[in-house]
Amino acid sequence: MKKKFPIPVIALSILAVVLAGCTGGGGATGKLQFYANGEDFVRQGFVSKDGWSISFDHVYITLSEIAAYQTDPPYDSSSGTDIDAKTEVSLDGVYTIDLAEGGEDAPPIMVAEVSDAPVGHYNAISWQMSPASSGPAAGHPLVMIGTAEKDGQSVDFTINIDEECEYLCGEYVGDVRKGILEEGNTAELEMTFHFDHIFGDGELPQDDELNLAAVGFQPFTDGADAAGVINMTDMHLGHVGEGHCHCTCE
Amino acid sequence: MSIMRLKWQSAIAAIAITMACLFIPMEVHAHGVNINYTSNVEIEIIATYDSGTPMAGAQVAVYAPDDPATPWLTGICDGEGRFSFTPDTARPGIWDVQVRLAGHGGMIHIPVGGDTTTADGQGSFSHLQIGIMSACVIWGSIGTALYFSKRRKT
Repeated sequence: MKKKFPIPVIALSILAVVLAGCTGGGGATGKLQFYANGEDFVRQGFVSKDGWSISFDHVYITLSEIAAYQTDPPYDSSSGTDIDAKTEVSLDGVYTIDLAEGGEDAPPIMVAEVSDAPVGHYNAISWQMSPASSGPAAGHPLVMIGTAEKDGQSVDFTINIDEECEYLCGEYVGDVRKGILEEGNTAELEMTFHFDHIFGDGELPQDDELNLAAVGFQPFTDGADAAGVINMTDMHLGHVGEGHCHCTCE
Repeated sequence: MSIMRLKWQSAIAAIAITMACLFIPMEVHAHGVNINYTSNVEIEIIATYDSGTPMAGAQVAVYAPDDPATPWLTGICDGEGRFSFTPDTARPGIWDVQVRLAGHGGMIHIPVGGDTTTADGQGSFSHLQIGIMSACVIWGSIGTALYFSKRRKT
């Protein structure tokens, strides 16, 4: 008599049931939100290392290939290696954000969210700073528009950054721990941008390492091309809160 | 404030783990004394900037592996960027230590005890473990099928 269920079919059926049982419980998800933060330097303005009082009207930054990771062992951004993750959640879109949007006390700006992210601890994040395809920042990854004042002189500036950068970061470092996602809950991740690394900080000593590396504002007063003033790799603009990222720009 | 390009000096220069106290159990019969022992491991971190400058006065937050969202301990680095603590060895796994000072900071991950997997709510198996488990499941499935197939023939 012909077998109703050949051996391979039975074996595969059992295997499917077993594997379904093993993995079926792993579907717990929550909402993972991605934020961009230009900090008070952008929202409230600040004094550069060379004494220019800078206020921003708009800081357009364009972000793409945004991804969050669960890594074990935790990713060390100082290694500069690729992120090896057991779980990855990514955003498909390209997002142009105005980091100066809102008032002086405005919260960080939400870029996008993933509503069904697997639960766990997202302890690494990466993104690209790439040219905007349209809008006021079209063609540029970063556009800074504002006014700088010093000794009665006022300069309206528009600084276009054309370098594209990749940022590979570990865990957010700050007042609270971010990225811990539990089932049915919401967790946040933040891409933080330290603009004092470009212009320096007048509240710090001139020989502080931050000021030694920053270019200040003076080079931009005559409308100089940013490409001749700034090397974005050296500026280390992108952070995760207070934590540093590995940065590659070109 | 501080310094640009803070990277942990080789992931926080040194972690000196010393066995601080190890009391050997003793038996004393004359007066019915019970003496127990404890074994504590003290961990010391040293936080510096890239330049080697100590992160003097930096804020420290220590997270136990089973509660990564809430600091288990907070404190301040001394003038040389040093901070010491004794983790609860009953909570084995990766202990996370965050150090921050004036807008810059970092985190180091220290294994304590036998279980060094991270407490992230996810099961974590190595590729080898997964491979072995998969092979066992497949072999078991085929064996089961063969067993029942053979019984029907007899």
